Amino acid sequence: MNPKWRLWLAGGLAVAVIGAALYFPALRRQVYKAKNLTEQTAEQARRELLPPAPVNSGEPRVKAQMYWGSRANDGTLVPVTVELPLSSDATLRAKEILNTLLAGPVDPEARTLPPDAALLAFYILPDGTGVADFSEALASSIPSGIQSEQLAVDSITRTLEANVPQVQRLRILIHGQEVDTLAGHLDLTQTFQVSMSNAGTPPAKSGVSVLTAPIQKAYEKMKRATKRQ
Amino acid sequence: MGLNIVVLDPAHGGTDLGARGTEGIRESEVVLQFATQVKRALEGQGFQVIQTREGNENPSFDDRSARANAQRGAVFISLHIASTGLPGTVRTYVEPDTAVSRDPTGLIPWDQAQAPFVPLSHRLGDMVQAELAKRFKGSPDVAQVAPIRQLRTTAAPAIAVEISSVSVENREDLDRMAPGVADAIAHGVAAFRPSYVVPVMPGTPLVTQP
Repeated sequence: MNPKWRLWLAGGLAVAVIGAALYFPALRRQVYKAKNLTEQTAEQARRELLPPAPVNSGEPRVKAQMYWGSRANDGTLVPVTVELPLSSDATLRAKEILNTLLAGPVDPEARTLPPDAALLAFYILPDGTGVADFSEALASSIPSGIQSEQLAVDSITRTLEANVPQVQRLRILIHGQEVDTLAGHLDLTQTFQVSMSNAGTPPAKSGVSVLTAPIQKAYEKMKRATKRQ
Repeated sequence: MGLNIVVLDPAHGGTDLGARGTEGIRESEVVLQFATQVKRALEGQGFQVIQTREGNENPSFDDRSARANAQRGAVFISLHIASTGLPGTVRTYVEPDTAVSRDPTGLIPWDQAQAPFVPLSHRLGDMVQAELAKRFKGSPDVAQVAPIRQLRTTAAPAIAVEISSVSVENREDLDRMAPGVADAIAHGVAAFRPSYVVPVMPGTPLVTQP
């Protein structure tokens, strides 16, 4: 190879290296973007596919009882009456009720379920067993503990009992799956009694249901602790 | 047969940290330290103590239950620290009443192992909780009922004791509770000892002494 061609070749290589160096950051951004897209969980995809919660503006507004935590009496649930346009169809009504429960009370301290949890599906079997499928966040974001997990399930069953009499029992799924526990303690392999005033999770013997403090503070603290690690 | 053994279960461990507080408090670590003091107090009452874990490992629910199910004359106590609840209070939990499957072989399904022991668990839970209520103001007087996965597969009187909470401002606040919790559990189990009987399993023929 004569010197002239060597020069051309070296020049070409230099241009290619400079071009690659300039293009690399843009390429890296594209790779990260693609990676994020592929990491989108099936749950996220499923949530996007879900139709928005039906708003039955045509339905009459009725008084519904939501069981949230009590600030005055630490460790108990209290019924809060709210007016909602509720469907007469039991399945739709249960979805509307549970979405309202998940949205939480005006006072976030009285929240019983993690704010990032979502109801993915709800259906009622012919024997009156309701099946509620919640997003992963119900299990991963709830503060771990017997008390806090029992509060979450109890608020769901009591709220269903008060508003959807067709639901007599409840199975809770997480992201479409049966799981052993909610967050390491409460047994989710069983069916919870709804219509018999918490036969599955009976109240304390004294007759006063001692459940837990509102979980909002614990949730916030847990989030902060998780971020630090 | 008398009650001689206590299977002590420090919950969580390994990668399962359990409840976490903002001060770096990890339930899996705290319960292990509580277990040391509870063990000492129980041994002081004449019990042999077996722990489901001694270090930072995480046996499965079934492995923990199996430690108790392999014993004769044992009770099972699972130790927890809550994320919630009034700091400085303690609650004892027992399984709800469930129907026992009647199997002609006399065998009880593993996942219903606790069912025949529920009445005894309630008695044990009430006795331990009564002792805890004396020492920790604001704690309930009687045991609470909750379906707890760990207890369901345990074929022995079984309770879970949950202390509030990892959200205390200082770790020392929790550490100060350990001697009282240990003392209450030891006295509660000792008070329960005369009540202990092995329940007759469904389908098992009654065998009487000649």
